[in-house]
Amino acid sequence: MFHCDVIDVSKNKITLEKAQAFIESHKCGASLFFIGTVRDNNNDKTVTGITYDSHDGMVKKSFEEIFDEANKTLQLQHPVAFVEHAKGYVPLGGISVVIAVACKHRAQVYEFSRYIIEEIKKRTPIWKKEHYNETDSEWLKGNPIQK
Amino acid sequence: MKIKIELFGAARDFANDNILELKIDNQTDIKGIRENLLTWLKKEHPNNNNYSNIVKNSAFCNENNEIVHDDYLVSKEQKLCIIPPIGGG
Repeated sequence: MFHCDVIDVSKNKITLEKAQAFIESHKCGASLFFIGTVRDNNNDKTVTGITYDSHDGMVKKSFEEIFDEANKTLQLQHPVAFVEHAKGYVPLGGISVVIAVACKHRAQVYEFSRYIIEEIKKRTPIWKKEHYNETDSEWLKGNPIQK
Repeated sequence: MKIKIELFGAARDFANDNILELKIDNQTDIKGIRENLLTWLKKEHPNNNNYSNIVKNSAFCNENNEIVHDDYLVSKEQKLCIIPPIGGG
């Protein structure tokens, strides 16, 4: 079972309650929550917030591919995952991403969660514009997608 | 013919509307569209090399959310998206 979405945070919220409700399953004995939040410093600049931009269609496609790959690569038992990523302005401390996973046994949930976040970082088309106290906002340099 | 290019990430700063319209020849490939876009940028933002670098390092995707490579031929009016280097969530 898999749920993923891009949440326009000017209209909706990413909530842990929703994630927990989705991953609850009597087949699973372990669940794990990863929460990404906006921190206050990057490259020696004081960060006040981040605006996330997203190509929603490609992002959802990428999340689904990552879930399928994780399932095959890690040979998961009864995998359940919930992934939501923010789009729009997220202030300091705000939630940018929630990844909630559940599996039959505990060892797999750590691998599963880690696999999802690392692959999102590598290949999901999400962009970040950081906002600072002292200087102008700027888009962070990223990694080119293979052309 | 005319195509539309939707802008994402750092490329959103190219224009106010988040979408550009380019006039291209029939059967132009992505490589040609990239060159076309670089020419447009030189005209609109003559002193901004950063924008040119973004285009050079960007991929493009079609309406099916598929990355299209440099040899992909655009033979009808359609919308493409420019995918700058990704920030990774």
